[in-house]
Amino acid sequence: MAAHSEAPAPSLIVGIDTGGTFTDVTLLDPATGRVWTAKTPSTPDDPSQGFGNGIAEVLEVSGRSGADIARVLHGTTVATNLILEGKGARAALLTTAGFKYVLEIGRQDVPRSASLFAWVKPKRPVPPERIFEISGRIGPDGKELQPLDEAAVRAAVWTIKTQGISSVAVVLLHSYANPAHERRVAEILADEIPGALVSLSSEVLPVFREYERSMTTILNASVMPVVSTYVERLDRRIAERGIAAPLLLMKSSGGVTSIRTVRRAPVETALSGPAAGAVGAAYVGASSGHPNLIGIDIGGTSADITLIHGGEPGLTTNGRIGKWPVGLPMVDIATIGAGGGSIARVSDTGALMVGPQSAGAMPGPVCYRRGGIEPTVTDAHLVLGHLPPYLLGGSFKLDVEAARNAIRRQIAEPLGLELEAAARGILAIVDNNMVGAIRVVSVERGHDPRDFSLLPFGGAGPLHGGALARLLGMSTIVVPPGPGVLSALGLLVSNLKAEFTRTCLQKAGEFDAGTVARVFAGLEAEALAWLDAEGVSEEARSVTWHASLRYQHQGFELNVPWASRDVTEASAAATVAAFHRLHERLYTFAQEDTPVEIVTLRVDARGIFPTPAMHELPPVGALEQARVGTQSVFFEAGRAESGIYARERLGAGARIDGPAILTQLDATTLLLPGQVGVVDRFGNLIVREGA
Amino acid sequence: MQPAQVSAQSIDPVTLQIVRGALRAIQSEMEAVIERTAMSPFIREKKDFYAALFDGAGCLVVGSNLPVFGDVVGPIAEHYPLDTMRPGDIYWFNDCYASKGAVSHSPDQVFVAPVFAEGRLSAFAQSWAHFNDIGGMRPGSLSPDCTDIYQEGIIVPPVRVVREGVIVEELLRLFYRNSRFPEMVKGDTRASMAAIRLGERRLSELFDRFGRAKTADAFDRLIEETASEVRSKLRALVPQGTHAFTDTVDSDGQGHGPIKLRYRLEVAGEHITLDTSESDDQVPGPVNFLMSPPVPAMVFGSYLLGEGSQSILNAGVERAIDEVIVRPGSVLQPTFPAPLGMRGVTMMRNMATCLGLLNVATGGRAMASHSAYVIWYLRGRDDKGELFLMSDGLGVGYGARPTADGNDAVYLVAQENFPSEFLDSVFPVRVRRYAINPDTGGPGRWRGGCGLIRELEVLAPEAMVSMRIDSVEHPPWGVAGGHAAGTGRCVVNPGRPTERVLRPLSDGNIVERGDVVRVETGGGGGWGHPFDREAERVLADVRGGFVSRACAEEHYGVVSEDDGASIDATATDRRRADRPRTKLFHRHGYHEVLS
Repeated sequence: MAAHSEAPAPSLIVGIDTGGTFTDVTLLDPATGRVWTAKTPSTPDDPSQGFGNGIAEVLEVSGRSGADIARVLHGTTVATNLILEGKGARAALLTTAGFKYVLEIGRQDVPRSASLFAWVKPKRPVPPERIFEISGRIGPDGKELQPLDEAAVRAAVWTIKTQGISSVAVVLLHSYANPAHERRVAEILADEIPGALVSLSSEVLPVFREYERSMTTILNASVMPVVSTYVERLDRRIAERGIAAPLLLMKSSGGVTSIRTVRRAPVETALSGPAAGAVGAAYVGASSGHPNLIGIDIGGTSADITLIHGGEPGLTTNGRIGKWPVGLPMVDIATIGAGGGSIARVSDTGALMVGPQSAGAMPGPVCYRRGGIEPTVTDAHLVLGHLPPYLLGGSFKLDVEAARNAIRRQIAEPLGLELEAAARGILAIVDNNMVGAIRVVSVERGHDPRDFSLLPFGGAGPLHGGALARLLGMSTIVVPPGPGVLSALGLLVSNLKAEFTRTCLQKAGEFDAGTVARVFAGLEAEALAWLDAEGVSEEARSVTWHASLRYQHQGFELNVPWASRDVTEASAAATVAAFHRLHERLYTFAQEDTPVEIVTLRVDARGIFPTPAMHELPPVGALEQARVGTQSVFFEAGRAESGIYARERLGAGARIDGPAILTQLDATTLLLPGQVGVVDRFGNLIVREGA
Repeated sequence: MQPAQVSAQSIDPVTLQIVRGALRAIQSEMEAVIERTAMSPFIREKKDFYAALFDGAGCLVVGSNLPVFGDVVGPIAEHYPLDTMRPGDIYWFNDCYASKGAVSHSPDQVFVAPVFAEGRLSAFAQSWAHFNDIGGMRPGSLSPDCTDIYQEGIIVPPVRVVREGVIVEELLRLFYRNSRFPEMVKGDTRASMAAIRLGERRLSELFDRFGRAKTADAFDRLIEETASEVRSKLRALVPQGTHAFTDTVDSDGQGHGPIKLRYRLEVAGEHITLDTSESDDQVPGPVNFLMSPPVPAMVFGSYLLGEGSQSILNAGVERAIDEVIVRPGSVLQPTFPAPLGMRGVTMMRNMATCLGLLNVATGGRAMASHSAYVIWYLRGRDDKGELFLMSDGLGVGYGARPTADGNDAVYLVAQENFPSEFLDSVFPVRVRRYAINPDTGGPGRWRGGCGLIRELEVLAPEAMVSMRIDSVEHPPWGVAGGHAAGTGRCVVNPGRPTERVLRPLSDGNIVERGDVVRVETGGGGGWGHPFDREAERVLADVRGGFVSRACAEEHYGVVSEDDGASIDATATDRRRADRPRTKLFHRHGYHEVLS
């Protein structure tokens, strides 16, 4: 795609981010950095409708036509919602004889924070009666120990067919080491049920640990029918608008891929929306000179925390979607139940609790006057004057009195506090909960938050950023120009990306260079085939090798780059040395005298699009022109008159001393007394403690 | 140690909530460090560890959801008075008897760091982790064959392993030398110490932020809040008078048993006493459970707090009960040096006995009984002559509740299994089957959880099996009309001429290459009469393989059509019309009282 060059070349990029309430569309002219945006209501029954409406709207606003579009980028929650709501298709699973109950047993644990007495094991996405056992066995080294029982496969397939099931997952033990049996099952399935949707674990996630691989594969099978229909509709929608450009979807790993890949592995989009946000955050960080960032996306019900190191969002292979583990590489995002809609309550024991219950968008905070009666975090902000008495540039009025009454009656009076003290308490509790989560996320990844800048985004992020940074001892806050639409930005700057993974267990002292080289070669061939299929030109390609390693007897691996693109004693030794160093960085020690084992190999392929030019702001005018009012705000040290500024009127170099409130359509930023914000040339607000 | 007097100073609810959140986050951060820096699969994969925080007097402020409890700081203070402790110190022990059961078997290592604020000792950070092998009679240190605690690995009395930041390397060298897997023990020790160092730092920051007095006051309040909640909930649940319940451990593995736990809960006004003194004497085999007296209160507290409460499991739960009477020389208070290695079975039976008391007191409105989680070892040398130790923890079924089925195939809070693909690739075994054990869930209006089956083939020339299964002779009881659970067993070479059933609690069982070991685990008891279970739910269980058709017909009165896909409504109604009389408990038939 990087190679479409016939004149007049279509040149515009459009990003469509479908959220729960709104679909945000951004059109970018990469030559000039000019951006047009549109916001339309999402259409949950058929999200492709909102998608199409949004494109139509942005084309109208910009006065451009579908023929000018060079690529269409999309972040979707279709797969996410199917998984979270358990509404995937009725799928069947074929598995190795003796292992029908792997999903049911899971890891046989009760979550650490749960009660052994009260916890109820969640219902699996596929019941045992739709799981069929097949004899035949592959060993962990890939050797066939027992041939596949093809008659059993045919019998199972016949039952599946008579039950009218059209999506089938196949997970055979040790198939990461040798996929031959799974492939044979797929052939038989294709024979017996033409058109069946088949998910092989050796294609979806050829990585050891049967529970996680089974779950990922069955989730893939259960979302496949709906996602397939969805992407077909998207394709039609863009055709309807006269767009001939390719449609690329954001994957959980923070790169985009064609719908061809998504059809085969739809579960790879399970974290599509948040991944786009993380890519946007990384881009803002890199372009503003802050490659090490902690992004916190605070919405109505939850806050997503992402750690970005060296300009790249961290990836994990231990991610979860709702209750289920999904072992695919995905942007490492931790979610906590704290947001603008989090409800404040006084418990029976007289404790003040904030969240995790949320008023969400409906009924929403009390001040929205949509029927919410319990005070929320947003109400507390309003009572303290952190928000002007309106949102969306004045078009949405907030009911200050209702918020005050709710907090007074339900929180302040029962606790014997002043109204403002109660409101500040609500915020202090929610801020501290977020701080605790950021600390845990950091230590789990071997980092100290003080070495990072904070990037607050989402509608409510910039209201909390100042307080969070102070509590964490972080010196810099970066507030992007559009905190509420960072996912849309992430789409526009994303690259094509795919990961090819395979477990190749090499025990300490039995390291077989030939096997490792063969597996790497196979993965690289898959990667190159994918790059070909995506039409990526030679100069836009990037292929990198990675390996996950562990100390002997350990059950947990770390992923490091393979030292070069060949397998020699030297490259293996250098990779092991990198593992020791990473282990030391993450966990404070390395055990150089303990043998190291190779577990999983991975080849990452990327197709790099030229970096689009970003719109640069003209230099600052008079600050007074941006000042739209003042407001009395309650801070910890007391009441202070604070200026209200219209963010879009601030030019590059503008400097604002806190306390101040910056308003814009999609978010409100609060500068605390003593904090100073300076606008950089891309419109980012860089906030530091004043000298 | 006893909770400190609650100070008169009243902390504001906001600070209290911030401290509550901060303590939980500190515990999570510490646990993240242990999990990710430990070496042994016991900690890394199985996750047999936790972190806890204590106040300056040694009262637990934040504990874990595991059924463990005890005075951790007291035993240290006996050797190292609190006023001799300094910043940077770390104390360590695994001595069960010296700690009066705060540690209840020797592989559990406790590391504790004092935390100072404003120049004064103000808190303690603690890590607790099960180490793979600390010497002793057999690899893994624990064996049903042990006859005294010296055979269960090296005993570490409370020692100061770090003084003002300087590690006493000699102590650690001595310890590592006693392990068959010194590298793992080394890694696990380092992880434990790193975790409490982090806890120490975070607690210091908390004291700096709010001041020592205010933070300490928050600790007191958090303990008080828990105490007040569990006290009132327990008193609301149990009527005045005496409630008695007896449950049974099958055997000590050395030919002694059954072993009875006889509890009496005496409720007089607000005062509640738990008397365990009529429980049987200690036994020669290692199922003795040196029970720290607050442990039953911890079980009640954990049960009563459930999921809805925001109170933290801490020293406050102790006050659910005013007095716990234990008798020295009983199986719950054995005399040194009785072996303790297999105390898990008795610990889990203590839990069931506490649930039994609640059922007696409420006429069957509590949870039914469970099997004790199963753990077994396979040890030997592989084809290259290298020593291996496979310690495989297996889930069981838990008891049904008045509102929900019991959980199927669960081990314990936070503790994970070894994936079959991990076992196949790391140990000389081939897993053949990992499945739900059908019909082990006690039938009931709510079904008890099912146990599971792990079956594997031995690929080493020879290996020794150590097995630990309980609740076989005395299956987990059902309640309120619910039936008892099915039980576990271990069979070698099932279906072959060489088939043999191992004793459920035994060691020294030799298996050879090609032998198949099948471990079946037991379930949990049912709740409510099985005829009251919706026929559709029973049929779903039949389709899923949790309940056999025969069992559905016999115990649930649900008759399915020949295709197994639908219910024969007429036959079902007929079967269910004739309902036998029930009594409060069920185990080998209905009984008003179990003995």
